[in-house]
Order: sequence, then C-alpha cells, then structure tokens
Amino acid sequence: MANPLLLAAAGEVGGDFFKERTSDTLPCQAQAGHPFCWEWATENIDRFGKPTVQHLELVVVSLLIGFAIAFALSLLAHRRRWLQPPLLGATGVLYTIPSIAFFFLLLPITGIGKDTAIIALAAYTLQIIYRNTMLGLANVPGSVKDAARGMGLTDRQILWRVELPLATPEIIAGLRIAVVSTIAIATLAVFIGGGGLGTQIYGGGNLTFPTSIFIALAIVLLMALAFDVVLLTVQRLTTPWRKARAT
Amino acid sequence: MSEGQASSVRYDEATKRYRGASEPAVDHLSLEVPAGEICVLVGPSGCGKTTAMRMVNRTVEISEGDVLIGEHSVRDREPAQLRREIGYVIQQIGLFPHRTISENIGAVPQLLGWEKDRTRARSAELLELIGLDPELGDRYPTQLSGGQQQRVGVARALAADPLVMLMDEPFGAIDPINRERLQNEFLRLQAEIQKTVLFVTHDIDEAIKMGDRIAVMREGGRVEQYATPAELLMAPANEFVEDFVGADRALKRLALMRVSDIDLWEAPLAFVGQATNEVRAKLEAPDVEVPYPLLVDDERRPLGWLSERDLAADVVPGQPDSPLGPVLELDDVMRDALADLLQHETQYAPVVDHRRRIAGVLSVEIISEFLASPEAKSEETPAAERPHG
Repeated sequence: MANPLLLAAAGEVGGDFFKERTSDTLPCQAQAGHPFCWEWATENIDRFGKPTVQHLELVVVSLLIGFAIAFALSLLAHRRRWLQPPLLGATGVLYTIPSIAFFFLLLPITGIGKDTAIIALAAYTLQIIYRNTMLGLANVPGSVKDAARGMGLTDRQILWRVELPLATPEIIAGLRIAVVSTIAIATLAVFIGGGGLGTQIYGGGNLTFPTSIFIALAIVLLMALAFDVVLLTVQRLTTPWRKARAT
Repeated sequence: MSEGQASSVRYDEATKRYRGASEPAVDHLSLEVPAGEICVLVGPSGCGKTTAMRMVNRTVEISEGDVLIGEHSVRDREPAQLRREIGYVIQQIGLFPHRTISENIGAVPQLLGWEKDRTRARSAELLELIGLDPELGDRYPTQLSGGQQQRVGVARALAADPLVMLMDEPFGAIDPINRERLQNEFLRLQAEIQKTVLFVTHDIDEAIKMGDRIAVMREGGRVEQYATPAELLMAPANEFVEDFVGADRALKRLALMRVSDIDLWEAPLAFVGQATNEVRAKLEAPDVEVPYPLLVDDERRPLGWLSERDLAADVVPGQPDSPLGPVLELDDVMRDALADLLQHETQYAPVVDHRRRIAGVLSVEIISEFLASPEAKSEETPAAERPHG
C-alpha cells in the first residue's frame, strides 16, 4: 500500500526516515525470525513522541468537529422528521467511501496536510454519531414525553431536560465507536501528509522491520483504550440512574 | 398544608376534529364540573373521553367551542403556562427515569421558579401525604414498584397546588389489589384536598367508585348521561347507558352504600345472668324480626347467639351455644357486608358501632327488600358520605 513515490510526494515520510534506515546498522534486522527488536525500541522510543501528539490532535479535533455537526444534524432531524432518511443516506454515503480514496478526493480541494485528514476523519464519524443520537432520542419512552408536555415543559425544555439526558447512553456509545474507528483510520493520514502514528507504520523499510509497526500499534491500542475508559467514566457519571436499576 | 385551590371546569360546545377524519372525535361537548368534585368520563374505547380530557390542558387543541377553567378560557393561555396549573396523571405514569423521586415531584415547582428549599420542602410534604417513606425521595423511579410509582405520579401532579387535576386511567396498569388500594388512598386524599378532578376510565366500577359525577360517553364524545353514581344506577337515561352500566347495577348500588344507610333489624338482647323468662318474653313479642336472642356483655358488645338449649336453663349462661359468626360494622360498605353474609352462609349478622357496641342486625332479607323497594330508587347517597372502602 505504501508507495514510496507517493510518500515522497506527500513530503512527510520521505527523506530522513529512509536515509536513517539505510545508513543505520539495524542490529536485529539481519536476524531472521526476530520480529521485535528491543534494542532498537529502547534507543528510538522518543521518535514516537511527536507522531503520538499529532495523532491525538487528529483524533480529538476531528471528533469534536464530527460530533458538533452530527449532533446539530440530529437535533434538526428530530424536529423535522422528513430530514431523517436523506440525512441517514448522506452520512451513510460518506461512511462508505474507502478512506484512502476519500483522502485523495479531498487532496485537490484542501491540499496536503492535516486539515484534509481532519475533514475526512470528521466525515467518517458523522454516520455513527448521528445514528446513535437518533436512536437514543427515539428510545425515550413516549409516556415520559407525554407527561413532560402535560406538566408544562416547552418543546425545548423537553429536549434538553428530558430527551437528551435520557439519550446520553446511546450518544456516548456512538462516540465510543467513533473514537476507536477514528484512531484506527487516522493512521492513514500519513498518505496525505497528515502526520500521526501512520508515519511509524507505513515507513518504507518497515515491511521487513516490524518493530516500529508494533510500537506504533501498541500506542494506537493504548490510545483507544484510554479514550474508551474516559468516555465510559463520563457515561457513568452522567447517567447515575442506570446504575440504580441494579440495586 | 398549602392545598386549597380548585376551579370549576366548563366545556362549552367544545369540538375536536382531526384532519382527515370524517366525524369529529368530540362533537359539541357541553359539560360543567363544579369545583372540588371528581367527574369521571367513562365510555367504551374510541368514545373521545381522553380527547375531551386533553382539551383542558390543550395537549389536544380545541377545533371549535371552548373550555373554561373558572371564568377563563384555556384558549387565551399560553399552553405551557396553562399546563403548569393543571395536574396531569397518565396510565403509563411517565416519571422521569433520570430524576430522583424528589426531583420528579418537584418538577412543576421547578418550572414555576420556586426556590430550591421550598421545592424540597414541598416534595417531602407530598411524600408524606402519599404515604411513602421519605428515604425513597433519593431513589430513582425504576427502584420503586408500580404502585409506588403511580403514587409519586399523583404527588407530582399535586406539587404546585393545581386548579384542576386530569387523570387518564391513572390506575389502569396497576394490579387489582394495588388498584383498589390506590383508589381508596386517592379518595381519602381528595376528601382532604378537594381538587376538581377529571378522571377518565373505561371501567364502570371504577367510575362508580371514584366519581361524584359520571359522564357516560359514546362515539363522538357525546354525553349520554351526566349524573351522580346513584342516579346513574337507579335510572339509566337510555339503553346505551343501561347496557354500559351492566345487568348487575342493583348489586353495584350496594357498593355505594354503607350499612348505616339502611334501617336495621333490632336484635332481642340477652345479658349474662339475666333470667331466661325475660328473654323468652322478648322473643314472643309480635314484631320480633330475629328469632334468636343475641348475648351481649355489660357494654352491649355482642358475645354470641343463644340457642333453645341455652334458654332451657334458668339464667342466661356466660358461654353461648352458637358462635357469633360474622360481625359487621356501621361503616362497612353494603356490598362487602352482603358478601360477608353469603360467605358465612348465614341469613343475618350483628352490626356494631365504632366502639363495638350492638347497633342492630343486618340480614339478607333487608338487602333484597331494599333492592326491590321503589323507595330505594329515590334514595340517594350523598357524595360526601360515599364509602371509601
């Protein structure tokens, strides 16, 4: 998948990385059946610092943008029901475009760099967050809304005080899926010069030198786990009534 | 207690047409519910009773005509503001699952901008009023039983001292035993708070039990009869009402009466140690209705029935031969009293007052005579004395 020409064109993974690799004596590389090289790992661990920060930035920014748009769309579709099928279709189409294709389709419009990556990543989150928010709103019992209306809550109060709090578990469930997939897809940002941990995975020499891939993957995995724990904690804190059910 | 507000409700040719429907759901309904009374809207499903009820708080918009609360048309009010003055209880309860019980009860006061302390105090007061442990205030609705949840539903509707209460089959989803209990509790509560209540049900027995007045409705929200429960049972206006009330309306009337509402027989009394001659003399009096003497203590509390064998002695023994059997109270609902007699396979039973002193004897014969007599048909149980079970 990693076309060196392409990578060079993107200007991100080019020069130094290859040069370093070819000029270095790679201690473990010669030994066959040695997939992970501790020696190299301990010496080069700091080279993962910057890509990790870049990766985090890609994920957080695209999620914030994606959530803001998907949430706004959900509220709109909640108020105007006829919007629901077209919005589901539109976000679905975005979700279906293969990531690499999406990146290169955007390239002529938004150019090389992390902005293009963020736009594509945000677009991918729309479907998941939109769908789950709609699902959460649809799951609010009709009787609760009826009672709320009958008690004199306005439509806006019903939305913000009743429907959205009750939809929180589904909304956060959507976010959790979106986070994991965004963290994974963000490794492809490297192909359009978006940086991130992809730089440590799709480096040319890595196909025969997997240590860097393993480390990058471990960081990706830890990042996904950390986000998940954070979101799960947020859900627990914002929905205390769900825990009460068990007691 | 801050209770006290209640307003009359008047339907004035109120009509609801749904778009696309050929017939109006409610067609020129006119009805007046006096302040402080429970008016039950009863009828088969699809008769428009819920639609009619919902016109009051404008959860159903009125197409033509008007509904007035006190002197004011609901059409002049902003719907959300209007609804905060009207208690709303529905069959599915609809408590907010994400709010605690106290927060649920305090929902309308919160909307009205009450101070937090006042809302909290009001929630606590209502929890006590509906007989729930104050500790339950911090629980969430899912942690309560269905019956407890509906009590909270009623408390929530009462929180801001509404002018009117709307109750849409409020006890319909509760099991029969708890339903009975909740009905009784609500009637007790109502005796205290005296709200104007519009109560929707399809169950005629519930209507008879709960209503000061009953509007029997049929399709199109047409009121076939609007009367007190007793009137409805004694003189159904037409065949539809008669059918709806049911063939057992004579029995249903008994549910509206207490034992104290009927003339009881006088029992020949016997005291311990009294000469049996005196007792025999009482039995031989021409107008005696009970053929056996009832043994009572010094306080005239019944001890048992005396048999022929007991009277064979010179003085009345302390231990009667026959057991006492069922003892009824003046406050008992007549239907329950009859059930007691039938269950014990006895023709009559002593009736005692609240201090358990003998007040008379009720017999199956008295009840059947009452049901057959034309005089019974003009007799009406005042609403305030309706049995609360």
